[in-house]
Amino acid sequence: MASLVVRRLLYLLPVLFGVALLTFLIASLLPGDLATVLLGDQATPETLAALRHDLGLDRPILLRFAHWLGEVLQGDLGRSYRTGQTVVAAIAERLPVSIELMLLAQGAALVVAIPLAIACAVREGGRFDRIVTGAAFASLSVPSLLSAIVLIWLLAVQLQWLPATGYVPLGEDVAGNLRSLALPALTLAMGEWPALMRVLRSDMISTLKEDYIAMARAKGLRPARVLLVHALKPSSLTLVTVAGINIARLLGGAVVVETIFALPGIGRLLIGSIFTRDLVLLQGVVLFVGIAFVLVNLAVDMLYAVLDPRIRHGGS
Amino acid sequence: MRTPTSRHRSLNRPSLWLVALLAALGLSAPAAAQKQGGAVTVGLELEIPGFDPLKVGVYDTSGFMVAATLFDTLTRLDANGKAVPRLALSWTHSEDFRTWTFKLRPGVKFHDGSPFNAQAVKWNVDRQKDPANKCRCAFYITNIIAVDAPDELTVVFRLKDPSMMQPEIMAPPTANNVVLSPAAVAARGDDFNRNPSGTGPFVLKSWTGDRIVVERNPNYWNTGHPHLDRIVFKPLTDAQSRFASLQSGEADLVWDDEYDYDNIKKARADKRLVVHNYVGSGAQVYAFNTKVAPFDDLRVRQALVMAIDRKKMSQAVAGGLARPALNPYGDGSWVKCENDGALPYDPAKARELVQAYGKPVAFKGLFTATPRGRTIGQVLQQFWKQVGATMEIEQVDQATIPARAFQRQFQLTPWRIIDLADPDPQMYANFHTGSPSALAGYSNPELDRMLERARVTADMRSRNADYCEIGRHINQQAIWFWTFQNSYYAIAKAKVKGIPPLFSGIIDVSDAWLE
Repeated sequence: MASLVVRRLLYLLPVLFGVALLTFLIASLLPGDLATVLLGDQATPETLAALRHDLGLDRPILLRFAHWLGEVLQGDLGRSYRTGQTVVAAIAERLPVSIELMLLAQGAALVVAIPLAIACAVREGGRFDRIVTGAAFASLSVPSLLSAIVLIWLLAVQLQWLPATGYVPLGEDVAGNLRSLALPALTLAMGEWPALMRVLRSDMISTLKEDYIAMARAKGLRPARVLLVHALKPSSLTLVTVAGINIARLLGGAVVVETIFALPGIGRLLIGSIFTRDLVLLQGVVLFVGIAFVLVNLAVDMLYAVLDPRIRHGGS
Repeated sequence: MRTPTSRHRSLNRPSLWLVALLAALGLSAPAAAQKQGGAVTVGLELEIPGFDPLKVGVYDTSGFMVAATLFDTLTRLDANGKAVPRLALSWTHSEDFRTWTFKLRPGVKFHDGSPFNAQAVKWNVDRQKDPANKCRCAFYITNIIAVDAPDELTVVFRLKDPSMMQPEIMAPPTANNVVLSPAAVAARGDDFNRNPSGTGPFVLKSWTGDRIVVERNPNYWNTGHPHLDRIVFKPLTDAQSRFASLQSGEADLVWDDEYDYDNIKKARADKRLVVHNYVGSGAQVYAFNTKVAPFDDLRVRQALVMAIDRKKMSQAVAGGLARPALNPYGDGSWVKCENDGALPYDPAKARELVQAYGKPVAFKGLFTATPRGRTIGQVLQQFWKQVGATMEIEQVDQATIPARAFQRQFQLTPWRIIDLADPDPQMYANFHTGSPSALAGYSNPELDRMLERARVTADMRSRNADYCEIGRHINQQAIWFWTFQNSYYAIAKAKVKGIPPLFSGIIDVSDAWLE
């Protein structure tokens, strides 16, 4: 187990290096640069050239990358060109929002997906299964920018049950915080539960055909016990994988949902840094998202071992 | 230069001294109805990068709103757009309008406790103009040669060109005009940008993520002000959810623009909401590059301008809310012309002109890479197709338009004449031979002479006549054209009172109160 963790962590380094280099190159391909953004309506050729020189933008791209990398290796992610805020402070300020949103959205999606998946698997092809499958496809097909607006219209404007926008920090007011995150979490969950439900349902169906399930039933165990104890655990490997990918993705920010509901999360920080060509901030955020992604996947791999002893024994 | 402006300014200016005196005496006449206390939440258009001019260059509409609460300027505009005292108590000018002397209010302190004085004003301007600081903000104060502080409470602005409306120019809370605490800038360094200190009616309480909270400055020099205890600013970048927040109660006032016309119309029909609208000077404009074909030919330029049906275009892009512009000045300007020489909408004549040109009229037009940019491009494309001209739409990033325009890498480019107190800075820059933003590349000695004369004429009647003549010349030569006037919107709950006219699109909530 320990060697698995060490191996995975070593693997992190080349991944992050590749991600950082790619971002740097892609960002430099965007038309316009930080100098054009900063100068706005005074971007004459002369002022542009002068500012580019000051910002070091006239140096070759790989040299700039090497310089940035050197600073990062010394533990300095730098300061945003535009706001003067340190990159670490900017991420730290927004991370709690993204983490909380991720947890609530994943929680809501799992709460819906798991019982439905089990119920569908038990009567595969039955009427309930077909209705839920239809609902899942419908829910999956609605883009979040539409479901967000519909939810706002219904629950915030018409019924006035929940706020449309306005993030309240957790430390300030717990109830207000949960209310402010309810609609965005619900919007995200609407796009997440169908996939979770589908993978768990199909794994469950094949598990239920295994001999040991027939054996358990034959022994006269209660159906609920067979489903929840004997069948659910070995059926949840794909579920955990999909959930893990979702968690990693949401940690990197849910750009559309954060924008519509005006949540100050990682996604808005990322998109803002792209629009303003704030390369130092952009690189810092991408690096963070990369680390989060690899670490979450590592955690998922370790969960496999917990869920399925065969993996544990095979690995050691 | 992102400044405000005055409407309804009379052509004969009364003595500024008199205005200053009256305003100083009657400044804080309290209206009995203004209730103290309460909190207001404001929905901004964009996230604010900060308040240090050296870092951010200029403030945008969102920055202005917050800056108006944290900082003071030397003057402010009254409801008619005239400058009245704020940090300055009174002012005088030299005969040639090139030297302006301001007497400052004594006893004012910055939020960090350091004193406000003439040195602080001078320090702010010097810092922005210092070439070593390479501040983007310096571009807008090139007319200021130097600021002197002969004593504790006197500042003298020495100008390169005459500026008759200098007190008005210095009123809005732009990055150039707000007075930052020199002591706080020195102490906080890079962190000042997001932890600013001014003399304004509100003090920054917290700035977490994107949410800015300001609280009443208990030591504010203007006794009895502000009225509110607290203002929360948060960016609500999505137009639909911004309006929904207002309806469901998370916001009390939101920024808006005419492209969100559905919601503006809904708000106008809603008794609980009030729509604040202000039509400023200037316009949304386009420049032809007259150095390249086909726009080197007058007939082609005239034909394209005559093919534009602004009413129909307003319907298409803004539900009819956008107000057609036929000259560069607009309804909000003091320049009033009986005849602005605008070419009429006349597609038949336009078609004739295109045919008379003889060659095919095909060109590329630059538009911003936004849904709005695409819509506007497509509407113009249709108008021009109907008269036999073909435009290819090239959508580019907003930030690259100035760069392309200044390098003259365009045939047709969008531009903007913003709402300013005086037409001179922009008219001179946009139309005088050799100026970087004279985008059309058009040169005419007569036009240059008029522009040079208008900026130094003290008599407002002859200035008005000059600017009308300039407008006619440009309209007839069709080197630029104007589509819509600058119109600004805010939507607020009916209980939010005390919002002054939105000069330059600045929504100032610093003196608001709740009914």
